[in-house]
Amino acid sequence: MAALRDGDFAALQILLKAPSKDAVRQLCQECFSSPPAALGPLAQRACPGLAVSAEEAEQLVSAVHNLTRHVVYRGLTAPEDILRLFPENFHQNLKNLLTKIILENISSWRNEAQASQISLPRLVDVDWRVDIKTSSDSIVRMAVPTCLLQLKIQEDAALCGNNPVVSALTVELSKETLDTMLEGLGRIRDQLSAVANK
Amino acid sequence: MGLLNFTREPVPEAVSADMHNLNQLSAQQFSALTEVLFCFLTEPKEVERFLTQLSDFATMNKISLGPLKNIVKSILLVPNGALKRNLSSEQVRADFIALGLSEEKASYFAEQWKVNSPTLTRLAVGQTLMINQLIDMEWKFGVTAGSSELEKVGSIFLQLKLVVKKGSQLENVYVELTLPQFYSFLHEMERVKTSLESFS
Repeated sequence: MAALRDGDFAALQILLKAPSKDAVRQLCQECFSSPPAALGPLAQRACPGLAVSAEEAEQLVSAVHNLTRHVVYRGLTAPEDILRLFPENFHQNLKNLLTKIILENISSWRNEAQASQISLPRLVDVDWRVDIKTSSDSIVRMAVPTCLLQLKIQEDAALCGNNPVVSALTVELSKETLDTMLEGLGRIRDQLSAVANK
Repeated sequence: MGLLNFTREPVPEAVSADMHNLNQLSAQQFSALTEVLFCFLTEPKEVERFLTQLSDFATMNKISLGPLKNIVKSILLVPNGALKRNLSSEQVRADFIALGLSEEKASYFAEQWKVNSPTLTRLAVGQTLMINQLIDMEWKFGVTAGSSELEKVGSIFLQLKLVVKKGSQLENVYVELTLPQFYSFLHEMERVKTSLESFS
């Protein structure tokens, strides 16, 4: 999470050199989505389009990143709240443009932040099959149903970057185990409804 | 000796002699010994207790423990084979008679077999191979209050800890689910239960 710094608004004025409103829009989106470590390369890519020095590009990209992330962090949704962030002497049109762009993107940015939150490994998919065991070394003839459950689990997105590691865990459940599990899941459901109804 | 039901392999020589010795026991002694045997068969982990009970039996009936153990080994061949092959009590009785046990004792043992076979079958099924058996599931759910990217969040998360037996070790697997995923998971598990029940 980045906090707004004093030099940020000064750096934002570099956007006045942008070729079009769409270019500004594009840059805002890229800067928000980029993790701090990837801002350097992003600045290098933005450099030629803005006709600024490498150093200025870096300051700009960093400033846009900080601004967009700050708004998402605080959960600001009203235009007045966003406009209030800018200093008195900030370029009026640019201020309005940035506010407009932010408002357009705020809910998808919020979702993005929530999706990339740290967490335990996440369940991605569940598959199952039911087998009937007909024979084994301990008993030659039987008909015992059993369940094979495959859970696809994805490691923490933040750790894996663009290559999420998905592992598959296959477990076997007897009918008794399944009944116990369902009992537990049922209790979770009841508690969730109790919380929701409060 | 004709074809036996409980095994296809030839029976060790000593078995005939052991059966002959068994025939020498009184009905009461045979019944007590049978009780000790089934006690062990239904709880195979209680080896210490089994050996103690055998030793007590030997002392009380003035039989030496060594020969008694051999006799017991011979007797146990039949129920172990019978369990594997889902034999009926008539087949068990016939096998004991073929091995040389008296009709009276063979019938008695077969009766006890009939009484105990549901428990024994359940035990045998329970010992069947299971891959990555799910042993336990623990859970907690809560609310994410905030994060470094979002000051106020307020979303519900559910965390499951699955204890899985991999080979002889237990492994803990931690998974997080969102609320919609949880309901979907619950729905799937209920479908599995319906499927398993239709096959029981």
